[in-house]
Amino acid sequence: MALRAQGVGARLGGVQVLHVLDLHLEPGRWTSIVGPNGAGKSTLLRVLAGLLPHQGSVCLGDRLLSQWPPRERARVLAWLGQSESVVDDLSVMDVALLGRLPHQAWLAKPNAQDLAVVEKYLRLTQAWDWRHRSLGALSGGERQRVLLARALCVEADILLMDEPLANLDPPHQADWLQIVRSLVARGTTVVSVLHEVSMALQADTLVVMAQGRITHQGPTSDPLSHRAIERVFGQRIAVHAVQGQWVAIPTSAPPATPPAAPD
Amino acid sequence: MSAPGRRSPLAWALVLCAASLLFVLLGVCVGSSGWQAWADMARDPVAWQIVWDIRLPRSVGAWGAGALLGLSGAVAQGLFRNPLADPYLLGSAAGASLGVCVALALLGVSPASLEWLAQIGLTGAAFAGATGAVLLTLVLARGVQHTLRLLLAGVVVGVVLGAASSLVLLMQPQLLQAMQGFLLGSTAFVGWSGCLLMLVVWSLCMAAAWWFSPVLDGLALGESTALSLGLPLAPMRLGLILVLALASGTAVAQTGLIAFVGLAAPHLVRSVLRATHAWLLLLSGLMGGALLLAADLLARALIAPQELPVGVLTAVLGGGYLLWLMHRQSASLPGGGA
Amino acid sequence: MIRGRLLFLGLLLLGAGTAGAWELRDDSGQTFQLARAPQRIVSLLPSLTETVCALGECARLVGVDRYSNFPESVRALPQLGGGLDPQLEAIVALKPDLVLASAFAPGVQRMRALGLKLLVLEPRDFADAVRVVRVLGQVLAVDTAAAVVQGMERELRAAAQAVPVAARGKTVYFEVNPGPYAAGPSSFVGQMLAQLGLRNIVPASLGAFPKINPELVVRAQPDVILVGDNEVDDLSKRPGWGALVAVRTQRMCVFGKQDSDTLVRPGPRMAQGAMRVAQCLQRLYPGPA
Repeated sequence: MALRAQGVGARLGGVQVLHVLDLHLEPGRWTSIVGPNGAGKSTLLRVLAGLLPHQGSVCLGDRLLSQWPPRERARVLAWLGQSESVVDDLSVMDVALLGRLPHQAWLAKPNAQDLAVVEKYLRLTQAWDWRHRSLGALSGGERQRVLLARALCVEADILLMDEPLANLDPPHQADWLQIVRSLVARGTTVVSVLHEVSMALQADTLVVMAQGRITHQGPTSDPLSHRAIERVFGQRIAVHAVQGQWVAIPTSAPPATPPAAPD
Repeated sequence: MSAPGRRSPLAWALVLCAASLLFVLLGVCVGSSGWQAWADMARDPVAWQIVWDIRLPRSVGAWGAGALLGLSGAVAQGLFRNPLADPYLLGSAAGASLGVCVALALLGVSPASLEWLAQIGLTGAAFAGATGAVLLTLVLARGVQHTLRLLLAGVVVGVVLGAASSLVLLMQPQLLQAMQGFLLGSTAFVGWSGCLLMLVVWSLCMAAAWWFSPVLDGLALGESTALSLGLPLAPMRLGLILVLALASGTAVAQTGLIAFVGLAAPHLVRSVLRATHAWLLLLSGLMGGALLLAADLLARALIAPQELPVGVLTAVLGGGYLLWLMHRQSASLPGGGA
Repeated sequence: MIRGRLLFLGLLLLGAGTAGAWELRDDSGQTFQLARAPQRIVSLLPSLTETVCALGECARLVGVDRYSNFPESVRALPQLGGGLDPQLEAIVALKPDLVLASAFAPGVQRMRALGLKLLVLEPRDFADAVRVVRVLGQVLAVDTAAAVVQGMERELRAAAQAVPVAARGKTVYFEVNPGPYAAGPSSFVGQMLAQLGLRNIVPASLGAFPKINPELVVRAQPDVILVGDNEVDDLSKRPGWGALVAVRTQRMCVFGKQDSDTLVRPGPRMAQGAMRVAQCLQRLYPGPA
């Protein structure tokens, strides 16, 4: 299913954060949105998830996003937010089961399929062993894995993730990478906002943003995309190929040009 | 859904029901006339009246008020995701006080002419004040979209209506003592009609809150996530706030402002088991009922034939248990508990 | 006043015809009926207790509230809570055929629902106190009411005459409790002070018991300060009050608990309260009465 944004703009607190942009997300691919702080990446993701009022239109499949009944939309579109405050009381199992809400009848108890799905994704994020511990007793990384499992349990066609690697150490980042790749292989559309540029360079498509506008869209392997990234970060990073993969390496600051002396 | 080895929510519900029944039976035996009334019941019509018309409705009424407060406390805590939320959060306490204050003042001015006021009585005035205050909060916050705005509006309404009460009391200082009685809260004057009303309202509110409970579960993950899960947040939040207003308004109208039951009951339930809100709401109601019932019993029994204010005992019972829980939790965790 | 007169007229009309059964409307607007005179009375207001005893029917009292303390004999009766938190069980157990209550008692409706006969009387000033004596005399079917009222009026006149010449016409300030809540001219206390020929510094427009700004007292410079509670130590410490003539020359009357009761209860002992005030004034203004 395709997700498309046309002429989308958004205001937050009176400030125009997104300026009339068009975005077409290819189904069954992993798109990564990168850009400096304040570029409007999270805002764009929220608009795509239907969580923010916006100007312009967002289309999911053949209909406007706003025309989708909420539960149907929730089965198709899953969203993982950035540092949402979660009540500490819930157990890991409870949190993951909440991801199955869009598939359950109202007030229904979780059935065997729900439990099977939850077990599968909790094992995938290596959170199954402590499924009865409460969220408040977990470390930041463990919490993030549980929240990720929750988003995966929705088994949606489109998965939108905002900073999914927060607090994750390298082994678990590698796990996450594997999960995303297997999802994409199965036909899920994944859209992530990442500030780890090297991770973002693992995606299929790159969307480069700066100051509320999209400066470049294109495949990750395209050198034009690399130049766009470098440009948007003020040449403070350089994209290189290392062992067959693209990585972004910080560069030392260019020699500062002295300001023009006033007369 | 709960950890292996812990009792299920159904078991806890049955335990609480059994405890409440036991307390009601004890309540029948306790009072200023002591055991005599229970023993003389068959022979003496006055003793029968004491047991049947005073002690029994009082105990059942205490359970009813406690159940309403427990339910609304759980709704408030789930809705605002704040463990310190209590049923009076959106100004219902201040509204009820103002309603009673104004009614007392009007009655004092010309009691004979206000037939309708005598009809509704102070309970009606308190209920009208409580629900009116919550509706005012909703209007001020312009809907249920933003919880922070709702909370702020609730605080503002509470403070302003409290000031209005003080103003009325200033002009009519002879009402001060009567108001204090209302503010302290008392289960002593609940009759069978009040009991019936509270039980009916509790059943309605419980059914409605149970229907809305998935929203509370979803909200536990955060508002945006709840929205992304397809939950119809706005209409159900409004429904939950109306449940809150109805439940807390009914309880306050019948028994005055009894503090702490609404705050403590959900915590007590969460301390013994983890469950989704569908069970949590029911168990909070049952726990609140048992708590207030026990407090009412002790209020009558400890210094019979005199009575202690029931609000003091709820604080001692509920607060004491929570303190013990906190102590136990901080002792077990090496780095100190939450 | 008019209300009292109308009620009395109504009483006359209603009570005159039927011997035995009659009815009246009490202070809560409820119609009150009695087939015969009550023999077991519970009183939940101190002034009503005192009125019953003043009519000579103390023996009919079976229970009082915790604040009723006069005459001594009522202290031996079972105490049934306060006027605002009556103990329903204890009241019902005493099997009264009449319960006297104040208008603001929360248990009034409940007691009615339990089948108790309730008479609600709320005396608030001099005229109310007289009316209550007459109503209770009617209800208890005794004929001592007229004598009691005459006695009250006579004692009041005696107290007025006991006020020394030098004290007549002086301005006074009566403080009911620290707040400061003063007694205005329309209150029970204020009317009594007026009967004694004293002028109240609090204007009538402020109501019966206004919470006043202490500046009012400083500006008005009352000749005598009357305090209904033992709070005299604080008075000189209040800002500006140390300079008051009344404070400096110690022209203050401080009434202890027992005397306070006679002053603030609108009941049959109000003349005694007036006499206390007169006696205090005699001490402050020695000279002929």
